[in-house]
Amino acid sequence: MVALARKTLVYEWRRFLPAILAVGFAGLLQLLQAALVLGIFGSASVYITGSAADLWVGYPGTQSVNLGRPIDPNVEMRLLMDPAVARVEPFIWLDADWRGQGETGGVSVFVSGIDPRADGLMFAHALPPALRARLNEPDAVIVDRADIDKLGVGVGGTAAINGRRVRVVGVSSGLRALGGVNVVSSLDTARRLDSDPTDGDRPTYLVARLRDPAQAQAVARRLRGGGAFGPYEVWTADSFARRSVMYWMFDTGAGAGVLFLAGIVFLVGAVITSQTLVAAVAGSVREYATLNALGVGVAALRWVVLEQAFWVGALGLLGATVLGAGLLLLARSQDVPVVLNATATIACVVLAMGLAAVSGLAAMRSLRRADPATLLR
Amino acid sequence: MNAPTPAAPILYAEGIGKAFVSGRVRTQVLDGLSLGIGPGELTLISGPSGCGKSTLLAILSGLQRVDSGRVFALGSELGLLDGHALERFRLRHTGFVFQGFNLFPALSALEQVELPLHYLGLPREQARARAAQSLDEVGLAHRMRLRPAELSGGEKQRVAIARALAKQPELLFADEPTSALDAANGQTVIDILHRIARSHGTTVLCVSHDPRLIGHADRVLAMEDGRILSDRRAAPPAATIEGTPP
Repeated sequence: MVALARKTLVYEWRRFLPAILAVGFAGLLQLLQAALVLGIFGSASVYITGSAADLWVGYPGTQSVNLGRPIDPNVEMRLLMDPAVARVEPFIWLDADWRGQGETGGVSVFVSGIDPRADGLMFAHALPPALRARLNEPDAVIVDRADIDKLGVGVGGTAAINGRRVRVVGVSSGLRALGGVNVVSSLDTARRLDSDPTDGDRPTYLVARLRDPAQAQAVARRLRGGGAFGPYEVWTADSFARRSVMYWMFDTGAGAGVLFLAGIVFLVGAVITSQTLVAAVAGSVREYATLNALGVGVAALRWVVLEQAFWVGALGLLGATVLGAGLLLLARSQDVPVVLNATATIACVVLAMGLAAVSGLAAMRSLRRADPATLLR
Repeated sequence: MNAPTPAAPILYAEGIGKAFVSGRVRTQVLDGLSLGIGPGELTLISGPSGCGKSTLLAILSGLQRVDSGRVFALGSELGLLDGHALERFRLRHTGFVFQGFNLFPALSALEQVELPLHYLGLPREQARARAAQSLDEVGLAHRMRLRPAELSGGEKQRVAIARALAKQPELLFADEPTSALDAANGQTVIDILHRIARSHGTTVLCVSHDPRLIGHADRVLAMEDGRILSDRRAAPPAATIEGTPP
């Protein structure tokens, strides 16, 4: 088969370039936007993604990890009764007020009380064992390197959380929070810092490690039933992380913004791409009409146009991928939070190819002018 | 159905009428015209512009439908075929050469000729071989790797003829095939069309006001105002069947 669509695209590339660029930029814009939003809002679930737990147990209906309420510590027994559960660990999350030595005023901080054992589940990915061990000292806390200035304190310095003295024993990275500053302490220290008497000795969450992480969903379902230990709900780490990110994305309106911009990008891209393809078809309308006179069906000619749209989409995406990869690497090197997952990438690809397909369908319409009778003049 | 008998014309129009409406003005281009074209002949329709000769060609070739009357081509009544069947009829049986060459700028001469053959369902090698053979027949064997931009006007028209010829059609329609060409190239194209009718037994129907073509045609129809004014035959037609209108 003579590859008419491809050869025309290569030979008359100047004619198709605007369409390729439109698809490419539409794809790139979507990709970067998705990566930024996922990067920024992904830090909402840093407690989950930075930890090695397979299951999270918290107050029923909790929409985001920062909205947890204390649960009955005896739920731990219920969890340990299940043979699939290997380890359970409490996690205390509390909202607190920080006063540093410098003139930083009050800073809203989120205290994470964790089990500082070397093989503890919480923040297993963010805190190396040596650093965790330092949390065993009374009133010791660890903060993210990037938050040091904000907190007005250095390593070894002291500050006050909810009016109680704490000492910064180390810094880590990958602990940055959304809408505040994360401070990590041991469970004991966190209990001392908790100013709310109603919390008692209760953890905000219980996190569990399973013998077979692949069974997480089934085990979570199994553990959900039964209210003998008071109200609690069980999520897999993945679903709780997604829940938290989604909550932030839609709570702040960022999700709606992403969808709105996706619509605009799609519309603008489709207008440019379809106009370019329409012009390209119109430029070859006499040749198409001749083929139709020779008996090549209109349906076959439509396929040629659609194939052209497909290649325009594919080339645009290729450009977007190369450029996007470069820009994401640049962003990473500058500590800009960018994250790309498979779902977002596929959504961007579908959007760009959908844009090309819609434009191809629009361009097909101009084949109607390819009436061979008009050639006999 | 009273389809033409084998001895009768291969292409046959019976009382055809066609009008075009532009705004409120209705122009009757053809009115009750009947005509038969014999097989293996080079028939020339000539006449001033606007006399309806291009419309007649469009109707006889199945590119346009009639308002009244009937058209038979190779035993099929074209008016009874739907759009899809008409496309298939043209694919299998007809070739076209237009005044403009209408070649795809991106394709080489060989690919231009090969392209329609794929839609005929020919396998790749066979399509390529047939395309090369057609280009050889129009004297372009040495230029078949070139794109239209690298070919002269006469060469482009020869590629267009090869494209029509490679399908091995029974009917070949040509609309002013020489009017965009200089004398020498025009003559070459005329010779090729003549040879196609002779050696392939193809029925060639040509619309032109080029007087050079008259000497090469087996039959010349002069048209004016939608009617055929005269119907002349060239000296003894060697092996043509009489194609007299009924």
